[in-house]
Amino acid sequence: MYELRAAVAIAKKDLKTFFRYRIAVVSQIFVPLYQGVIPGLLFGASFAVGGRVVGLEETVGTENLAGFIFMGGVMSGLIATGFWSMAMGIRNEMDAGTLEPSWLTPTHHETLLIGRALGGVVWQILGQTALFTIGIAFFGLRFRTEIVYAVPAVLVAVVAMVGVAYLLAAGVLLIREANFFIDTTNFLFSIASGTAFPVTILPAVFLPVALLLPTTYAVDLLRVHAIGQRPLFDPLLEWAALLATTALVIVLGRWAFARAVHVMRVRGTLAQY
Amino acid sequence: MTVAADIRAFVASARKELRIMRRYPTLLLSVLFWPILLPAAAVLMGRAYSGSNDPQAIQAFAERAGTSEVTGFVFVGYAMYMWLSAMLWGPGSALRTEQVRGSLEAVFLTPTSRLVPLFAPPIAALPAIILDFAVIFPAMWLLFGVVLPFDAMLRAVAVAVVGIPALYAIGALFASLVLRYGEIGPVVHLTRGIFVLACGITFPVAMLPAWAQIGAALLPPTYTVADTRAVLLRGEGLGAVAGDLIFVVALTVIVAALASVVFRWLDRSARRTGMLGRY
Amino acid sequence: MSSAVVATELVKEFDRGRYTLWQRLRREPDRRTRFRAVDGIDLRVETGEIFGLLGPNGAGKTTTMKMVSTLLEPTSGTIEVLGIDVARHPREVRARLGAMLSGERSLYWKLTGRENLEYFAALYHVPPKDTRERIDRSLAAVKLSDREDDYVERYSTGMRQRLALARALLPDPPLVILDEPTVGLDPQSSRDLRDRVRDLRAQGRTILLTTHYMEEADQLCDRVAIIDHGKIVALDSPAALKQTIRAEEIVRLEIGLNGDGLGLLAQLGRAGTVARQQQTNGTLAVTIHCTSARDLVPAAFDAARAHGATVQHVEVVPVTLEDVFLSVTGRELRE
Repeated sequence: MYELRAAVAIAKKDLKTFFRYRIAVVSQIFVPLYQGVIPGLLFGASFAVGGRVVGLEETVGTENLAGFIFMGGVMSGLIATGFWSMAMGIRNEMDAGTLEPSWLTPTHHETLLIGRALGGVVWQILGQTALFTIGIAFFGLRFRTEIVYAVPAVLVAVVAMVGVAYLLAAGVLLIREANFFIDTTNFLFSIASGTAFPVTILPAVFLPVALLLPTTYAVDLLRVHAIGQRPLFDPLLEWAALLATTALVIVLGRWAFARAVHVMRVRGTLAQY
Repeated sequence: MTVAADIRAFVASARKELRIMRRYPTLLLSVLFWPILLPAAAVLMGRAYSGSNDPQAIQAFAERAGTSEVTGFVFVGYAMYMWLSAMLWGPGSALRTEQVRGSLEAVFLTPTSRLVPLFAPPIAALPAIILDFAVIFPAMWLLFGVVLPFDAMLRAVAVAVVGIPALYAIGALFASLVLRYGEIGPVVHLTRGIFVLACGITFPVAMLPAWAQIGAALLPPTYTVADTRAVLLRGEGLGAVAGDLIFVVALTVIVAALASVVFRWLDRSARRTGMLGRY
Repeated sequence: MSSAVVATELVKEFDRGRYTLWQRLRREPDRRTRFRAVDGIDLRVETGEIFGLLGPNGAGKTTTMKMVSTLLEPTSGTIEVLGIDVARHPREVRARLGAMLSGERSLYWKLTGRENLEYFAALYHVPPKDTRERIDRSLAAVKLSDREDDYVERYSTGMRQRLALARALLPDPPLVILDEPTVGLDPQSSRDLRDRVRDLRAQGRTILLTTHYMEEADQLCDRVAIIDHGKIVALDSPAALKQTIRAEEIVRLEIGLNGDGLGLLAQLGRAGTVARQQQTNGTLAVTIHCTSARDLVPAAFDAARAHGATVQHVEVVPVTLEDVFLSVTGRELRE
């Protein structure tokens, strides 16, 4: 119970701090719009024949370009939350000097990350709601009501991203150039999950990597239900794969995080800046 | 103060920036990583949108972009994206860092011209720009098998050489604005976003509404990126793009003058308010 | 009296230098060396006392504090805090410990003072019904109640330091650990913070603090351990430590020499104990421990005259912990 309260306090603190940097709030909503959505839509539409994106229809079974891009955006936003807000957030606290007093409290070290996840998810819900509203109003975003069936998959993906964030945090708490590491791995993870294009387009050597990521299945299930995309595999199989890979990444992530905490306590690097 | 002394100060300042850059090896890694992966991902997006190069879809693209070579189109656009990023991030954050640590005030205490701290930091972005250029052609060939004629590449280099001073001036103008508005990250994203949307970097300018196309015509990178594509992908000669290049030079002079005026204005306002020491 | 902290044969070693992945891949020899930051410390802090670790920067004070507060794992040795083994039950220890380690940097500047404390109260597992009262009490204890709703970025350094202390008080801890609590503060703020620390002792708490200010250790601490190169070189009450000098007063002289000064030093040594002497550019700076400066100073003038030297400056000071440090380590605290 106390751990849950601590997690909620962390989320509240993160959100409060975030909302006090107004320019960052505005930028977080508009950056995905003008860096991802609009260029993606216009690039996709430049292949349209007679107003229909026939190429996309050939590739994934639907020509709903806006839906394809926005659903990918949901998952890439979630992935970015795991990479930046959860994992890199912990590193930023270490550099700022605020991680040490948190580690001096009886709150479990893992809770610090779960709290950040909670804050990140709340922000994602707010941000995605704003983006979807803009999408519906200005970019012809349409999706089916069956999208609700995909909500559990997205929630499982949130849990999976906590596991990924444990893994990443274990890395960024120990390495020096964390920013570059997070920036590049976030991009690769997002691409390999199929947020920008279906993983079937990836060169064959990368496909096994994509199939190991829980988010690959989550984004596919989301598009299958929301825009009627042709699924990669049987949806039941995708569900099983999503749950299995999520369990795996949670176990692996917690182990790596505990190792990193131990190494930091031996080396005394918690307050090195 | 003599011009020679100012030039010496300029060289010293540029050398300092390059030294700092050399000490962060990941900066170099990112110069290799992003110019390859960003466009590679965009090319694959193009494959998804075109139904893996469906002839009808490619024909539609060619009508809007002026070329059916999607890979080349994307790589040239992203080269410009990387140049803009380098020119906006580098000098802006260099000047901002100087402001935060208080060393900008120290530079302003020296008799060196006020324009030295403004125009010297963008030098550090030049190696990245050149490296980007050197990386994209082999990457296109290795990843997607696109080979471009050597003479076309030489013409593209000529177009880029004319375009780089404009980027340089944009970098300087941006850096001086950063001094005034503090937080650099969101401002870079916003500014770069505007260029990406307006200049036909990741999609054909023809896709923009008419009013946005007029705005695009006032930005130098629009011409540089379009001309590079024209000489590289359509095989046009430099004569065909000469008018554009002259216009780019004219725009460069205007932007550079604007950067100096803004910076001088900031300098004056700083002396009144003590702003340079604040952040 | 029971002990709040018991450390036995505490050792902490760190690697010095780096052995990068690149070096490992190329199978280059590992050139890292082991460095002992804490070298076999035995420590017993009694309940209800203010115990100080006094030593220069790099002596091992902060490393010791971090091991006591569970942030660092000792290489060997054991620590018990309030009877709990730190290695086996770190979270139980943290629940009973209020620690202020890195001061003002450890706060969220975009949150108000109260918001900072609300956040840490949840992390300290303060029950929700007690939180408000606990925060009010902590803020009052450090005299920040009137500024609780200001963003921390608008606080002075001293106020931030006090807020960090208020945070350490949130779990109502029987043991408070303070690492260099007054470093970087102006004299008024330092005095203020010391008063707050005394208040904590009056409330029955045990305080373990580090400092490199000898006045702070002298004025504040019931007992002081002098630490140098990772070892405790002296441990007692400040008064008892000063008595080990066997002198009532300290005389510092600066003498303009006419020769090598050896004969003069020998003569001065007969009048008192020469604790330290240094010659620069023909000037001899000498510190002498003596029972009475009234007797020593005229004798020093006579000795100087006899050796053709001139006394240029005389300073008579009472014995301080600085002198104790000097006598046990042969170095000054500030070196």
